Amino acid sequence: MFDFLKKKLKNFVEKISKKVEDKDVESKKVEEKVEKENVKRKKLIEKLVPKKILTEDDVKPFLEDLQIDLIEADVAYEVSEKIKKDLLGSLVSMEIKKGEEKKLIKDFIRKSLFDILNLPKVDLVKEIQNKKPYLIVFFGFNGSGKTTTIAKVAKYLKDKGFKCVLAAADTFRAASIEQLEIHAKKIGVDLVKQKYGADPAAVIFDAKKHAEAKRIDVVLADTSGRSYSNENLMEELKKIVRVNKPDLKVLVVDSLTGNDAVNQAKYFGEIGVDAVVFTKLDVNEKGGAILTVSYILKKPILFVCNGQGYNDIKEFDAKEFIDNLLEE
Amino acid sequence: MLEALSEKLKNAIRKLLGKSVVDEKAVEELLKELKIILIEADVDLGIVNNFIESVRKKLFKEKIPAGFTLRDYSIKIVYEELVKILGEKAYEINGKKIMLIGLFGSGKTTTAAKLANYLRKFGKVALVCLDYHRPAAPEQLKQLAEKINVKYLIGSDAYSVAKESLEKFKNFDFIVYDTAGRDALDENLASELKSLAEIIKPDEKLLVIPAEIGKVAKSQSEEFNKLVGITGIIVTKMDSSAKAGSAISACVATGAKVKFVCYGEKIDAIEKYDPKRFVSRILGLGDLETLIEKAKEVVKPEKTEKLIEGDFTLEDFIEQIESFQKIGPFDKIFSMIPGLSLPKDIIKKQEDTMKKWKYIIQSMTPKERKEPEIIDESRIKRIAKGSGTSEEEVRNLISQYFKVKKMMKSFGGMKGLSRGNLQNLLKQFGFRV
Repeated sequence: MFDFLKKKLKNFVEKISKKVEDKDVESKKVEEKVEKENVKRKKLIEKLVPKKILTEDDVKPFLEDLQIDLIEADVAYEVSEKIKKDLLGSLVSMEIKKGEEKKLIKDFIRKSLFDILNLPKVDLVKEIQNKKPYLIVFFGFNGSGKTTTIAKVAKYLKDKGFKCVLAAADTFRAASIEQLEIHAKKIGVDLVKQKYGADPAAVIFDAKKHAEAKRIDVVLADTSGRSYSNENLMEELKKIVRVNKPDLKVLVVDSLTGNDAVNQAKYFGEIGVDAVVFTKLDVNEKGGAILTVSYILKKPILFVCNGQGYNDIKEFDAKEFIDNLLEE
Repeated sequence: MLEALSEKLKNAIRKLLGKSVVDEKAVEELLKELKIILIEADVDLGIVNNFIESVRKKLFKEKIPAGFTLRDYSIKIVYEELVKILGEKAYEINGKKIMLIGLFGSGKTTTAAKLANYLRKFGKVALVCLDYHRPAAPEQLKQLAEKINVKYLIGSDAYSVAKESLEKFKNFDFIVYDTAGRDALDENLASELKSLAEIIKPDEKLLVIPAEIGKVAKSQSEEFNKLVGITGIIVTKMDSSAKAGSAISACVATGAKVKFVCYGEKIDAIEKYDPKRFVSRILGLGDLETLIEKAKEVVKPEKTEKLIEGDFTLEDFIEQIESFQKIGPFDKIFSMIPGLSLPKDIIKKQEDTMKKWKYIIQSMTPKERKEPEIIDESRIKRIAKGSGTSEEEVRNLISQYFKVKKMMKSFGGMKGLSRGNLQNLLKQFGFRV
């Protein structure tokens, strides 16, 4: 996972460190020469000694390479610009202290990435304890993995001791209801459904009523995959939110998404996203979409999913993610 | 479809067109911009570099043919090189057994049904489910097959179903196989796919690739190609994604060509791929061929003359609106015209206004349409009621009409614009008008 980005970031650190070293050697040479000159001339020559700091010209070419690498890793252009700008700002006039440069450069990268990923977390367990039934609506682009994600989250919550009900509010895609039904049976949670073509907002409403009657803690609602450019479907989603007032609106994003992640984040963001789940991390060695969506949406990542099994779901930890990217 | 990408390409090309002198430096600038645009569109970096290199070589190392300026020639070359990558013509389905392959969530099952529905026009079609991993995948195929009324086969295990299908659908013209979504690098799933291909010996192995997928497209396509040998590509979710560079990467990685494009959720939202149109649109040259064809059909020359002379009635006005609507939704029309881009919401608003105008004019008597001067307050009241609009809106339309008419007359019609900038523009892009 993320080996590509990891490699590229490491590469960048190496290159800048090399530059620092070169400069160090260069200035030492001149210093030695200066030592030999008499004091009078020494004063003059001191001005010519290269300063032991990095200049814009020193780092720019490497930053441009890094930007291409980031874009190659599916980080959207505008996000790569931000990282580039951050690093330029911190690297230029960085004082050269031999032996510490790698750590310093890494700290700069860490800071820039942390800026993007450090978002106020959602404490799901605590929120559910405070309000029951707690309604979570999942939505996103076609094929991003909503139904599978819901099954995983339901399993996760059930393991934490919560009672869950699934709402089959994807009433459009063929066999979506059956798919969710099979999951519900396997995990051992309730399911509320209607017919295909039914109003999804009504299905969720039913599930809420069911949860209230049966003292169930959490309602997890599946919705049909939709394209943000389809106005009618976006209106439908707005209606679902308006009618049912979910406690948590979760956007499910395929981590394999390229630059379209920008659009998905922007347009679904207009509906109001509270948290994001990234899927299919097991297939992905690049994963720039995580940075893109976080940067644009500024909403926390609730979970990351990395496999086909019910337990292939993990809470996301920004620090751990970045440390992993930068580790040797 | 592809708006964001073509928007940027359009800007790059417009920048080039806007320059008074096009020299090597200007072309280099264009190439640099093109590079970023293509990478941003999720095209693989190596492919982009090759592309830029071949354009550069053509432009600077070869002699520019007589009659071409560097400006015209550079646009022509960019266009031709993109066509080269994507293929130069629309490709057919060859053979009887068609197997769909791809990643999770790329849209294989929906596409299988769409393809079956499309092929029904050419013979007897059957759908076969080979996905017994994803819950309810067989059920999905069954529901879709019943909806389009084609025979189908589902069972409980992919291998036996594969074998059974060969016997059962022996006399059919097409068998479409839906396989489980998989990571091409997952060993178990990879070997399953390989064995299935050995049993079925499909004539077509089509890779289903979603338009929004990122750089992973190249490596996955390569792996699938190694496993079974890809013979064609279907690009899905083209209605929603702004970019489809993944298709370019997949083409290069497999050497296969795109055969179909899916652009919506409905069963008939599939069409044969036309690389030329695809490239035109990416380049921001718009779907010019379509526009020209359609415009020829609907716009009668004498009407246009009238409009140009500044001498037209409300009747002509409504005819113009109608013929415009026949071409397609506004945002589509505008996306087809190069160098013209308006914010989407403004286009939408304009479209709504035009619809209202149509209702208003339709609620007028023939006499009112010919001589709008006679429309007084009581007529306005009646028209508003009849068209379900407000009196204010009727007044607006009438005043708009007089304004336009007056303006046209004072300019001596649109003649001053010399037969339309559009044609000049088209010529610049190497289209014969």
